[in-house]
Amino acid sequence: MIITETSANGIVIVALEGRLDALSAPKLRGSPPVADPKTAVVLDLEKVDFMDSSGLGAIVGAAREKGDPACGIVLSCMNNKVRRTFETTNAQRLFHIFDDTSAAVDFAATRQIART
Amino acid sequence: MKTILALREAECAWVRDAFPCVHPLLLPICNKPFIEFLIDFAILVGSPAVRILGDGELDAVERYCENGSRWGIDISYANMQTGDSVETMLGKNRRFCDKERVMMVSGFSFVRYDKRRDYKSLAGSMPEGEWVAGPGGSITLFGAPEKPEAQAADAPLSLMALDGMASYYRASMEALETGADRYVLPGYGGEPGCAIGRNVVMSKSVEIRKPVSIGNNVQLLGDAIIGPSAIIGSNVIIDRESTVESSIVFDNTYIGEQLEVIGRIASGNRLSDPVSGVAVTMEDPHLLSGIRKSEALGALPRKIVHALGALILIVLLAVPFLVVSTLLRLGGGWRSATGDYLSGKSGETISLGKVEPDAANALDTIASTLSLDRYPWLFRVLTAELALIGSTPLPAETQHPNAPANALAYRPGVFSYAEAEQWPATGGDAAIVERYHLVHSGPISDIGLVVKAFVNRPHEKTTP
Repeated sequence: MIITETSANGIVIVALEGRLDALSAPKLRGSPPVADPKTAVVLDLEKVDFMDSSGLGAIVGAAREKGDPACGIVLSCMNNKVRRTFETTNAQRLFHIFDDTSAAVDFAATRQIART
Repeated sequence: MKTILALREAECAWVRDAFPCVHPLLLPICNKPFIEFLIDFAILVGSPAVRILGDGELDAVERYCENGSRWGIDISYANMQTGDSVETMLGKNRRFCDKERVMMVSGFSFVRYDKRRDYKSLAGSMPEGEWVAGPGGSITLFGAPEKPEAQAADAPLSLMALDGMASYYRASMEALETGADRYVLPGYGGEPGCAIGRNVVMSKSVEIRKPVSIGNNVQLLGDAIIGPSAIIGSNVIIDRESTVESSIVFDNTYIGEQLEVIGRIASGNRLSDPVSGVAVTMEDPHLLSGIRKSEALGALPRKIVHALGALILIVLLAVPFLVVSTLLRLGGGWRSATGDYLSGKSGETISLGKVEPDAANALDTIASTLSLDRYPWLFRVLTAELALIGSTPLPAETQHPNAPANALAYRPGVFSYAEAEQWPATGGDAAIVERYHLVHSGPISDIGLVVKAFVNRPHEKTTP
């Protein structure tokens, strides 16, 4: 699993590449922007080619720890495999899901501005 | 122009209560799933791509529509949240919209249109904003008109909210009565107002009164009166001397003898009055019942006959199998791969080894002629994991075109009915013949079909 962090419009974009499974989930949970409850994160899942319950658990757990929706996790560019994993578990109801990372960044930035 | 179809669970919650086995987007209107009317309209408007948005699960819809290639368009799926505004929905699908004009159909409403009219020019010339709205939903256009100067003729377009059983019944009857003039409806029809599906078995004394729409694999027994205004789904049996008039009969429903179903919706063993919304669940299976695969006593004779047939084949083919397979194995011409296949029991899979002799020589010919590649499967008949003859086992992980929508339509077998009837075993049509025999064949006719499959299989392989 390759984790790349960039930022745009004051929002951290965490792009994941590879398999998000029991082996790589702790790496994601340990990533500073994901672990920090005060940082809004856009999680780019375009290049995730496999995700199991551990990976899903890592994302849901991180979102729960953030608590404040304005500093929450916004998902972007889910491929069909990942989307089905979310739908199977009904976890899609917990997240705002965008098909474009820049749109997700705009949305997260707007939420932060609205909070301040 | 692209199209977004947005549906919130709250808008169609009544469907979940009334028809628990049907996804609201797949609710049949005149034997055609609701989503197909929306897709047809998107195509009429000239959309090459459709995105289906939902705040619940879309799995069943995705399995049905797949990627849209059967309509010649691109269908994709995405999730939204219940409280999302129109702007948020567009933002969430920014990449899909891609600066093109977008038509958003939101809500659970039946779109009344006329397939003969030119909606493409009309939509292209309409200004941005709401095109049509009703209590249950709206159609809105976003983005600049593609052909603002074009003079397009006005075309009928309105929405009928599907907010309960009564409006659903009205929409179905309206689609049936306006028929193939305005909508693309399923079934074969030599004359207006009468559309009949495949494998419909009708006694000579059955009376059909137009308009009617009858699905696939339907049995209409002696002196039954169908219509006027009857919509009969697929895998339905209407028993002797029964009348179905101004009613909708859902898929997999049995209507007993000498019944009058007038102005009702029958779904499984549930009979509903669309006007009052009152539903009665029948306890007597002779009156009204859901057709399900019998797991009990009714299936026992078939299992015994199949097991006996398998035992005979095991004994007869034991020596040829041992000799031919050993020789082919030694020569590297006997390759087997194990895969998971859908079991006859819902949600379960079975592991089967599939053998493909790869060399065309005398031994290979013997193996093919005697169906030795299926020999190991015969033991699965003894343990009732497979039938001796039934459906072609479907791979567990794929979205196969023949994938069964219900258990009634699938019983994996060593030999398939499609092979017996020499239907193309891999095509979508194979499912039709298989489902027909699953419903209609008995233990004795199964033995005859096994013999046919045994004889036809080598021939099928040599036929291009």
